[in-house]
Parts: sequence; C-alpha cells; structure tokens
Amino acid sequence: MELTEAVPRIGAGRKNRKVNVGHTERNASLMGGAALAITGIKALAGRRLLPGLAMMVAGGMFLYRGKTGYCGLYEAMGVDTSGPAPGGVLIETFVTINRTPQQVYEFWRNLENLPSFMRHLESVKVTGENTSLWKARGPAGVPVEWDAEMVADYPGQLILWHSIGEAALPNEGTVEFREAPGDRGTEVKVSIRYYPPGGAPGKAAAKLTHAVTGAQIEEDLKRLKQILETGETATAERTNNHERP
Amino acid sequence: MKAVVWHGKHNVQVDRVPDPQILNPRDAIIRVTLSGICGSDLHLYNGIVPTMKEGDILGHEFMGVVVELGSGVTNFSKGDRVVVPFPISCGDCWYCKQGLWSLCDNSNPNSFMLEKLYGDTGAGIFGYSHLYGGYAGGQAEYVRVPYADVGLHKVPEELSDEQVLFLTDIFPTGYQAAENCSIRDGDTVAVWGCGPVGLLAMKSAQHLGATNVIGIDRFPERLEMAKRHCDAEVINYEEQDVAEVLHHMTGGRGPDACIDAVGTEAHGSGMEAAYDMVKQTLRLESDRPIALRQLIRACRKGGTVSIPGVYSGFVDKMPMGAVFAKGLTLRAGQTHVHRYLDPLLKLIAQGAIDTSFIITHRMALEEAPAGYRLFNEKKDGCIKIVLNPRLASGASA
Repeated sequence: MELTEAVPRIGAGRKNRKVNVGHTERNASLMGGAALAITGIKALAGRRLLPGLAMMVAGGMFLYRGKTGYCGLYEAMGVDTSGPAPGGVLIETFVTINRTPQQVYEFWRNLENLPSFMRHLESVKVTGENTSLWKARGPAGVPVEWDAEMVADYPGQLILWHSIGEAALPNEGTVEFREAPGDRGTEVKVSIRYYPPGGAPGKAAAKLTHAVTGAQIEEDLKRLKQILETGETATAERTNNHERP
Repeated sequence: MKAVVWHGKHNVQVDRVPDPQILNPRDAIIRVTLSGICGSDLHLYNGIVPTMKEGDILGHEFMGVVVELGSGVTNFSKGDRVVVPFPISCGDCWYCKQGLWSLCDNSNPNSFMLEKLYGDTGAGIFGYSHLYGGYAGGQAEYVRVPYADVGLHKVPEELSDEQVLFLTDIFPTGYQAAENCSIRDGDTVAVWGCGPVGLLAMKSAQHLGATNVIGIDRFPERLEMAKRHCDAEVINYEEQDVAEVLHHMTGGRGPDACIDAVGTEAHGSGMEAAYDMVKQTLRLESDRPIALRQLIRACRKGGTVSIPGVYSGFVDKMPMGAVFAKGLTLRAGQTHVHRYLDPLLKLIAQGAIDTSFIITHRMALEEAPAGYRLFNEKKDGCIKIVLNPRLASGASA
C-alpha cells in the first residue's frame, strides 16, 4: 500500500522544540540575567576580576535563556519546564534496528508484544479486529486501563492508533518504519501524544504520565532493538534475586 | 564465591559474594582459572573513572572453564577451556557485524549514561564501572558471560593459561594499536609507556613490519624489558628530552607513528605535569594528556597517532594546531578483541609471538589487595600481576 501525505503525522504541530523553559521563568531569567551581568561589570570596574567575570558569564547565560526560552543546563539535566503544548504532550523517539522494516513492523503489529519492551505497560490484549485493551502500571500498583483503536496500518511502514471511549489517559501514537541506507536496518520513529487529565479522578493517570517520558520510551525502544537483534534483553544483574521487575 | 570487590578509592578487598547465575538464554558461567590486573584497573583503583559503586566486582582479563550454559548457547560445552574478550558484544547489531565489536549497540544496559557523556554508547565491559554496564568482573572464582556464543573462544590444551590469557585484552589492544599505525617498510614506531600494552604494541609493530621501535618510560625495569624482549631502543623521559632524542633518532623527521599506551593518568615532569595534576584533582579536567601532547608534537608530518590508552572525559590544551598543520591521523578506541582472537591465537600457537614474558607476579586471588597496591606504586619491578583463584594464599611466586 502506498503511503500518502494524507496520513496524519503526529509531531507536525509543535515546531519550536528548543523551548524548555516556562514563561514566568523566562521573564525572571531576563531580569535576573541583566542584573547579574550589570553587577558583574561593576565588579570588574571595581577590579574584582574573577567574581566580576563569573557574574557576567552567569548573567549572559540567564539572558540567553530568557530570550530564547532554551537552557542548555536544563537540556543536559533532562528538565523541561515549558509545560504541555496546547495539543497535549508529545514524545518523539528514534532508534535504528538491524532488521528489515517488515520484521520490525510484524513484531510491533502483534500488539501483545508491546509489554515485553515497554516498561510502563502491564499488558495489551487484542479485543477486536482493530481494537485492543491496554493496561498500564499505575502508581501504587493501581492499574490504569484504556481501549485503543488502530486507525491506520500500512504493513512494513506505519501503524497509527488512538485511545477510544472514556480513557483515563487519552493518547494517540504512530510508529513509522523506514529502511535505513546501506544495509543499516530499519529506522523506527515513535511519536506518542497524550492529554493529561485534570481534576481528582485523573490523579492516577496524571501520575502515570511521569512514567511516560522521552527518556523512558527511548529505553523501551532499546529493549525492542535488543529483543529483535539479540533475542534477549541485556542485564548486568548477578542473580535472579536482584532482577528488576 | 570469593571475588575482588571495589570499596572505594585505593580500597579493594576480597569478599564472599553470591555465585553468579544464568539469567539469559545466551549466558554462560565460567570457573575462572586465571585473571589479570590490567593497567586500566588502576584508573578504577585511583578513582579516576566515575560511576564505580561499592560492591562492584573488578576484572576484565580472565579465562577459565565453562561450568554452565544457557539454553541458547549450542556451540560450547561444559568443560571447554576458554578465553573471554573484555568487551561484551552481542554479535548481532550493525557494529558487531562490521567487526566493530567494542562499539556494540546492545550490551550496555546503562547506555543512557554514555549517551549523555559522549553522544552514544559503547559495548558493556566486565568489571569496569556502571558507565560500561555495571557487569561483574572476572577477578573472582566464577563469572557470568553474556552472549557466550560469541563471547567465548576455545583455546587448545597444549597452550598454558599464561600463554593465552592476554588474548582477552592487552595483546589484541597492543596489536590493534600497531595495526592502526598502518605500518610500512622503513617505519619507525615510538611507543609512550612500556607497560604491558606498550610492550605488546612494540612486539606487534615489529611483527607488522616496523623497521625501528622506540619505547619511552621512566621505570628502568620496563625500559629494560622493552630492550630485551621487544628489541626496542629506549628513552627515559626523566633523564632525556623525549622530543629532542626522537628528533635525533629519526634524522629530524620524527617517528612515522606514535602510540599512546599511557592514557589518562600520564606522569610527566615540570610545570605542564603540575598543571594537569592540579586540574585533574580539582575535577576541572578529567584526563591528564601529557603523553598525548608529546606524541602529537613528536610525530612526523602525515604520520599517525594511535591511542590505545584510556581517556574518559575532557583534556586541556590539545595541540590541535599541530594535528592540523602536520596532517596527522588520529586513531583511538576500545579494542575489537573478538576480531583478533583467531589470528593472534595462531601467532601464539606458532610461537611467533610470546606474550607471557610480561608477567612479573603470580598471586592468589586473596592477595589482590596487596597486588593492586604493588602495581599502583610500581614497586618490586611490578609490570603484570596474574591472579589464580586456585593458588593458596602465600604461595605466590
């Protein structure tokens, strides 16, 4: 089946991915940065060389952060205070797997395989031709469940799904499989967008969203790669007693 | 079982720990018969490599006998006598398939740490910090070997443990360092550091056709070994100006290739060495590239700088101008041990290269703490220590 541009692509919405500092914080950064830089210059004028330079550097960093909304330190620490974009929270991750697109697709298409590499999932059960029941590990062992529907299925190329009905954590996702150049296997791109619920009933689901981060999905994809390439997941544990759940 | 356990900087002890178990289908358990202390273990001992945790089992140069196999390992049997490459490699990812075994994509469960530091991960390594996976090492009675179907290599009965042990790391490491020099007839190869890797790099360079080999160190016993066993000319950097002597020895051209078998804890003399020592101590610089700077300045135009010595972070004052102006080629990296096992085992079996000459101390596993101290302080002419779990304490030679 030919993949056309009409297929909705998750992730096209949020363009400025470099913003990871929230609004209030950006304004504070601008003001504080300017103040620091000026104090630094004053210190320099007063021949206090090192503190003056340090303040100017730090001030410059805050000014840049306030102006652009991007903080290198935050990125290095994996912190993002810019909050959810209007269209929910988007997570995009990539991995290259040394198998053909068809092989990777087939493993993924059998949705019941997903919990073998996605740590936050307890089980996925196929309930109909295009529907499935997803069960995630919630906080304090309380499971969070939702039904999902596959809305596009292009063998060897793309799978698109979204939650249906009264989902505790409304979400949608795509996984794309592209042949990498020169026998390098398959480039897998996963995009997941979820809509954090408000209010008390959504509390468990909201907590769950802390478990679904870019870093975690990236680890999931590494496990998928390990399973498909080596037939097992890597562990440095010494004995079964220490094995993680 | 007994194992050599890291408890902190300058503190290793022999502890009783639980025996390892088969956890994955491709695992094997090896009863260790001989295990080396590597120069790079001293970086752990000296607290230079981050992410070590109290309780970590050390050792990545070991061999032994297969005692247990996972259901997925069909090409080995219990009782097989094997050497184990120090990088843990899956054999299935694109890198392993390209022969770049030490860059394996799959074997490091803590790959996110290296990705944060370096932009991508390398293979897991036995007993070499949590950056490299947090795997238990082989300075122990038993060790679990993942991906055993590609991570074990049988050795013939007629060769002794001491003859084949160094296939696990330092022989391939010295050999790869020499191979990276693209040696041609007439070449002079200078090797900084006459420790085990440096010595085996000299042997390998000669085997690969180098006309002259020069060894640089400060310890007389190491320089003596380079002279006697590797047919090298030697320079004691504490007594002579290395750059000047090399200049004279090569008709003013400089060595065609220079090998840094020193790495991150280089010693030197004078202001430059003091500068790096202070910066490394204050954690303003993670590595001391004293030898590396010298290599780059000494190397002839268009020559190769080959770096088997371990670096883990950032270095200061790299003479990048010299790299550029002289058109140098820099080659570095962990050793792709798996790819050298067959060819180098052949060289040992034929008697073309003997690597056991570097062993200066044979100790029981229990004596490891004393061994680490001795090796770190370079006392008693210590060049290479091998630990034998079956040897009774006090019976060492």
